[in-house]
Amino acid sequence: MEREVKTFVIPNELCKRAGITATWLTVDQLSVRAFEKRNIKLPDAPSNFLSDTPSSIFHLRQEVILFHPILRKLVNESCGVFIAVQNLIVNKNPADYKVELFKMSRQYRSIIRACLENLQDDLSEAKGQEKEQLQNYITIFYSVECIWHLCEILFVDIIPGNLVLSQLLEWIRFHFPKHERNAATMLASESVNLETHQDYWNTVFGSLLQGRVKIVRALLRPHSSADHPTFKLVDQVLRAMPICSGVNGTSINEFNIQWRHWTMDVQSKIDAKLFSSEKHLDLIMRLVVGEEKAWIEIQDHCEAWYEFLAGWMFYTEPTAKSFELGQYAKRSITKMRVANNLKHLDRVILAAMEFDIFQVIKEIQHMTENGWFVAHLSDLLFHSSRLTSLEKEVPNFSAEKLRESFILEYGITLMGHKSLWPVGLSYLDHCTHDGNQVIALLLPRIPLDNEAKTLKIIREAKKRDLNDVVQCICKAQGMLSLKRGRIGNALCWALKSQDGPFTSYLADKFLQDYIKNGKLGSTDLLDNLGSCMLVSDRLIFLGKYFEFHKLYQTQKYKEAANLLISLLASKIIPKYFWYVLLIDAIPLLESEELLFSSNDTFTIMHCAEQKEDLPELKDKLNILKLSAARNLARALTYEAQNE
Amino acid sequence: MVASNLGTLKPLSPLTSTIVGLNRMMMVPVYLVIEDWFESIVKHLVPSWLYEVVGLMGANMFLDTDNFVSSSSSGSVYLMRTCQPYNDQIHLKTTTEWKNIHKFDNGEESPCTTLAVYEKNDIITVGEDGCINLLNSQSQRILRKIDNADSCSIHCVIFLKHNEILTSNLRGQMKIWDLRSQNDQPTNNFMLSGDQVTPTCLTYHPTQRHLLITGDDLGALTTWDLRHNTYPINVLNAHEGAISEIQFHPDQPDHLFSCSSAGEIWHWSTKAKTGSSLMPESDPNVWLAHDNVKNKLEVFTLMPTLGKSINTLDLSRNKVICGCDNEAIYLINGVTLC
Repeated sequence: MEREVKTFVIPNELCKRAGITATWLTVDQLSVRAFEKRNIKLPDAPSNFLSDTPSSIFHLRQEVILFHPILRKLVNESCGVFIAVQNLIVNKNPADYKVELFKMSRQYRSIIRACLENLQDDLSEAKGQEKEQLQNYITIFYSVECIWHLCEILFVDIIPGNLVLSQLLEWIRFHFPKHERNAATMLASESVNLETHQDYWNTVFGSLLQGRVKIVRALLRPHSSADHPTFKLVDQVLRAMPICSGVNGTSINEFNIQWRHWTMDVQSKIDAKLFSSEKHLDLIMRLVVGEEKAWIEIQDHCEAWYEFLAGWMFYTEPTAKSFELGQYAKRSITKMRVANNLKHLDRVILAAMEFDIFQVIKEIQHMTENGWFVAHLSDLLFHSSRLTSLEKEVPNFSAEKLRESFILEYGITLMGHKSLWPVGLSYLDHCTHDGNQVIALLLPRIPLDNEAKTLKIIREAKKRDLNDVVQCICKAQGMLSLKRGRIGNALCWALKSQDGPFTSYLADKFLQDYIKNGKLGSTDLLDNLGSCMLVSDRLIFLGKYFEFHKLYQTQKYKEAANLLISLLASKIIPKYFWYVLLIDAIPLLESEELLFSSNDTFTIMHCAEQKEDLPELKDKLNILKLSAARNLARALTYEAQNE
Repeated sequence: MVASNLGTLKPLSPLTSTIVGLNRMMMVPVYLVIEDWFESIVKHLVPSWLYEVVGLMGANMFLDTDNFVSSSSSGSVYLMRTCQPYNDQIHLKTTTEWKNIHKFDNGEESPCTTLAVYEKNDIITVGEDGCINLLNSQSQRILRKIDNADSCSIHCVIFLKHNEILTSNLRGQMKIWDLRSQNDQPTNNFMLSGDQVTPTCLTYHPTQRHLLITGDDLGALTTWDLRHNTYPINVLNAHEGAISEIQFHPDQPDHLFSCSSAGEIWHWSTKAKTGSSLMPESDPNVWLAHDNVKNKLEVFTLMPTLGKSINTLDLSRNKVICGCDNEAIYLINGVTLC
């Protein structure tokens, strides 16, 4: 697929000279800085661009209009419908949900309409640039709604007998409400000579083109010369016009015969110059019989070629099938002579009428609403099996992949927003192929503003069984706490994710801090470690050592001594901590009460001998040996006496 | 205990009940003690304005009908006043500002996680820096500051008496503090559970203040009797996701409301008493029962789940409002309380 490449210039002299490199910062931010590319052949020397002047780093992000407060409402509400659509598909078989899908499509449209209304409300109060911006949004979403409506008629709705005209007229009426509004005000004014109104004939022809024959008749009645026989005749003719509707049982053939009779009748009246006295009425009559010249005359009344198309079809091809639409559309474009300046909206509408879904999707991708439209519409088309049917026609095309690629794109866009990321997740969840992998990549990139948010992100990761992600986020939050001097909190985060190595790292920090300042921090935490201590050996040691301290402080020397011996006998003492333990043994060895048995003392002496070379122990070694010997003497005597 | 949809409750349909779009990731818990005009306050003031001034909001609480305190993720606390001068628009005015009263040792701002108020004046704030601050709405000074009250970040706080507060940290360790005592040590200390469960909200029974209920990260409701608090009285596995908030109805303590990150909002009510009226109920409060609590409670869902986290709820008479992650506030009218 061809894509336009957009170039952004980084306004920096250094970047210009040296070249640039970029890294992803968060989900949607790119960090750009000056960078000189080196390869192995270049000498290992400082870059030529090195200087003392501060250099700049640029953060780039795509502007997403969907993050505007009003449009955020659209995003949130449409997400609700999107989820409803997905649930619908899961729970029912295809035959059942066709009707439901149509309802969903209407819900999407009503959300767009509500959004347009909100935009309009704000527009009246806005000024300057903001006004321009809002106006821009309105244009975009107006087109979105217009195209969606047409696509709904052509691709989602099930039209009995494929007679598309009445829906088409409805679509036109919806998007060119001017005539209806004018007619309503004129009729409400109850004046007798309506033709003095400057828009009078415009409105009459407009209504006629929209197939509102009744309104045309109603508008003709208050004309000052309504009693004139020509007017009466016109009224009569229009009243007699057969109406095609599949519902009231008239078969198409029957209707065609009626229609032919009626047009022949009108034509004969025209030929008899019955209407020539009133040129407007004459034109009306020539229009309803589909006279080419008359339709050329009326062209200027039409704002768009599709308005012309609907009117023309109503009077010349009332029983057109939806697949014939493209052909008629082309014809009206030629007639209106607009083929050379078709706007974007015109092109999409034409493509839709030609049932070229690919073209439609391709065109709507270029609408600047950040993929909202294409994601939702292609999802809807996919579920109404419009895309799957294309798989047979086009080789190497997978409808599911197409749908997923749009939804993925849209979901990723939302993930970049500080409050819409949960919405983005809902979309990514419905991408069966890559959704989970993308979530696993993006979740850790969400900035951790506060712990409540962190917990929330972790919950989302847990819900999807992304244990690596949980661990990664916990570690990030833990490191953040550590940086802020909250080592207890860091440990807490490490324990949350059962991260053994990180826990050990933190426990080491605790012990080293103790060696440095002789105090164990975060006592409230260490006191309540409980079973989580089992995550790492180092933490077990820390917990036990804290317990030893506690026992010692509460003067439970006997228990403290026992704990010390079991610690010495265990193999979990970190190297740097050995000497602390051995020194801690000295006062216990020297205590008045006998605390160590002879075996215990042997353990201590054995350890002391093994660790003789520790530099920290140098000056204390003799004292230790002495007190151990004295204690051994006491213990042996005591044990001998009690044997 | 699958919640059923009660016929008499009329949840508003998701689309029509959207009152206002909110600007934040975390919806502000709007503790509304105000009476009938709370609909209008929601319409007018909760959204963008606050956000621009204070950054991400932590918690808001009303002191009386006009004044409320709000905490921010930048570690500051604001006392605000709502005024309604001439037109219908309600404005907010900051009357007192306690700037950066929560910060880390390295100078970074610490989010003020939540706050609690007692009567009309006393305010307690806690933060991720593990500090507790006692403020008074009449004074700019910090009346009492307990530095390093906890080595983990404090996530919940509640007043038990005017001089006693209970805090709970990231690991579920709960501490009771006596504000009069001069040493910075808690008077009592107990654990929510041994498994690193983070409590997300606390509340006490409106008439029996010693009865405390905590909601946690795993969706369980734990009941404590603070007269003997080392072990919980009972644990109810309730919601799918984390419980975001629980509240007793202020006038009708038989009714409890809870909401969760899985998008559920539930109404718990004690079952109508069956059996002989001659038998006096041995324990009038079902929450204090040791077993079979589930059989004594009925649960209703107030709103079809939206698939997005409900971050907060509040109630007044028979109205419940809740704030949801889809940036909308929902108002549920006519909740049956009997």
